[in-house]
Amino acid sequence: MNVMGIVFTNDASLGELTNKRTMASLPFGGRYRQVDWALSNLSCAGVRHVGIISRHNYQSLMNHIGDGEEWGLELEEGGLEFLTPYAQSDVHRYRGKLESLASAMDFLEYGADDEVVVMIDSAVLSNIDLNKVLSAHVESGKDVTVVTKAGVCNGEKMIDLALKLDEKGEVCDMMVDFAAPADYVASMDIFVLNKKWLIEQTKEMIARDKFHMDRDLVLGGWQRGKVSVNVYPFEGTAMFNESVEEYFTNSLALINGETRHDMFGGNHPIFTKVRDRVPTYYGEACDISDTLVADGCMLEGKVENSVLFRQVSVAPGADVENCVIMNDSVIGEGAELKYVILDKDVTVTPGAKLIGTPKSPIIVKRGETV
Amino acid sequence: MYFQKKRVIAMLLAGGQGSRLKVLTEKTAKPAVPFGGKYRIIDFPLSNCVNSGIDTVGILTQYQPLELNEYIGNGQPWSLNKTHSCAQVLPPYERHDKKSGWYKGTANAIYQNIDFVDRFNPDYVVILSGDHIYKMDYADMVSYHEKHNASCTIAVRNVPLAEASRFGILNTNPDNSIYEFEEKPAKPKSTNASMGIYCFNWKVLRDALIADEENPNSSNDFGKNIIPSLLAAGHKMMAYPFEGYWKDVGTIDSLWEANMELLGKNPAFELRGGKRSTIYARNSALPSSYIDAGAKVVNAFVAEGSEVYGTVRHSVISIGCTIGEGALVEDSVVMPGVVIEPGAIVRHAILGEDSKVCHNAVVGGAFAEGEKKSISVTSKGAVVEANAVLKPGDML
Repeated sequence: MNVMGIVFTNDASLGELTNKRTMASLPFGGRYRQVDWALSNLSCAGVRHVGIISRHNYQSLMNHIGDGEEWGLELEEGGLEFLTPYAQSDVHRYRGKLESLASAMDFLEYGADDEVVVMIDSAVLSNIDLNKVLSAHVESGKDVTVVTKAGVCNGEKMIDLALKLDEKGEVCDMMVDFAAPADYVASMDIFVLNKKWLIEQTKEMIARDKFHMDRDLVLGGWQRGKVSVNVYPFEGTAMFNESVEEYFTNSLALINGETRHDMFGGNHPIFTKVRDRVPTYYGEACDISDTLVADGCMLEGKVENSVLFRQVSVAPGADVENCVIMNDSVIGEGAELKYVILDKDVTVTPGAKLIGTPKSPIIVKRGETV
Repeated sequence: MYFQKKRVIAMLLAGGQGSRLKVLTEKTAKPAVPFGGKYRIIDFPLSNCVNSGIDTVGILTQYQPLELNEYIGNGQPWSLNKTHSCAQVLPPYERHDKKSGWYKGTANAIYQNIDFVDRFNPDYVVILSGDHIYKMDYADMVSYHEKHNASCTIAVRNVPLAEASRFGILNTNPDNSIYEFEEKPAKPKSTNASMGIYCFNWKVLRDALIADEENPNSSNDFGKNIIPSLLAAGHKMMAYPFEGYWKDVGTIDSLWEANMELLGKNPAFELRGGKRSTIYARNSALPSSYIDAGAKVVNAFVAEGSEVYGTVRHSVISIGCTIGEGALVEDSVVMPGVVIEPGAIVRHAILGEDSKVCHNAVVGGAFAEGEKKSISVTSKGAVVEANAVLKPGDML
């Protein structure tokens, strides 16, 4: 089966962390960007033709992905293609996924051999075997397969697409952009569809000025009895990084061994852009515990229950607890940080004190000095 | 085929067995031996080439080449896979005139690949070996060579007089021109030791290699034959003094020492580097390392994908290792993929790739200040059984 992948880079939803980047290029897990999960999932399932749809702020993303070499997508045939609004059409901003697909029609139609399309987002991360999803889709004979996760809906969290299943596992209700109750399962924003069908539906929807994938195509189509929906329940760890609080909680959750193995090694490795950094050096006086440490760091202070990205330095006497410290940040002597997210290249001057809370960690913007 | 003319290309001698590394090179050529947590020895000369602007490197392999070839691949980690660059692995081969077969010596290895070098029509050829740890800008050496209008330039470093008889010693005039070469002299006249790094005018070297091949008594070696014959023929030969860190890691002790010299706040050898001094390596897709609440890591390197639950002091822990709860690792080099189970004690050891130290086993020992340290070594994939003891200096 020839499969085409479409990765959506998702809009900013994490305030200052995504001011100048998409969700796809948001650093996560010490050495990665969020898009690494989508690309590795596709690549490890043998998908060799991938389009990346991005609305704006895609500079850092293009820097990260390059020609797709790290994911084995630097191919003459197929490979990786950036589908940016300016390159494709006179539509400068997409209002919804269907509109962006319409703009990418050349890409969709060009891969003539591809029969099936996997659509995958960059805000919900999982290490998933997409081959199983593809087989389940073909076996179901339905129009759309939605990958879902149980236990996410709780009546409080806004869910893009929530589905209720009957005893036979068939969809009996759907809600879009709603804080669905706990007996609903949440879409992980991974869809499998037949390409020919997707092209037809997209054209028809756009002709009626409908552009929202979840609301118009899936929910609307299902309500009118025109679209059959299959559900693939995912059992592994899925991280919904849709708010600062979730991003922060999920970052620290990686410190747990099982969760970490699930996210990084569950089905396959997660590939990312190579940086030639030296191994991390642990100094004479350092005290590191329960911490995830990337390469190139220089550690001389105390760090507990935190995630350190590449090339972070922690000076003697500094005390870092429950923090996410992105690459190239420097923490000065005697500084105290609790519940803090430092974006890239932040300098914390000696003796500075930053204390946040688990629900609202302090965020320091890229390049700032505190 | 189009081959761009190159001013300089490098030929890297990577075929030696490295028998003094004993069990560590039983199944691996010396240049492929892991070093510094995430590197292999060959990363140093290869990265030096790239950092010096040399983009064409022939790599002569012979002994146990599987891992080495796999590691070099198409040269991508060092950006040597582009339109105008290459990392070409050159194994021995069978030739129509039977003047081939295994590489008989370092000079013969280059002789058998004259055709490769000729493709690039280089002015200069830099000869390197794959068993030294150092950072050096070869471009400086080539400029020096060019400025002095030499036929051959040899990088030298000052060694203590007491040790000079272990090296090839170059006796020089005040202007650094060489008048005599002595291989491991009993009574050394100077302390200029050859680092085994040569820069030749290709035309001169090409003729010398052909002449050397025709001499049935030659052992086809740069140090023993080519250098003395060029000197005898009156070629201008220069010594290029190098003062930075340089270590021949050809023995267990020197390999251990070189790893230890990476540690400390101001290490003897600084791995970190910026532009033109980064050491590149083939990177593996491993997540960050994890340091547990019960772990203690002090004055150590820990590379990606490792998990530490025990205590690590003054050691280099490579990629993908696990140090179990209550285990102690001190003054040791732990190569990629090693598992040290809970309660095990490892001191003054080199643990080979993917080897395993089971529960409560003891490897190596402690030494008093000034006492000669005997390093214990495990070979690739070796298993030290639970509660077993591998004594100081022993190998498994």
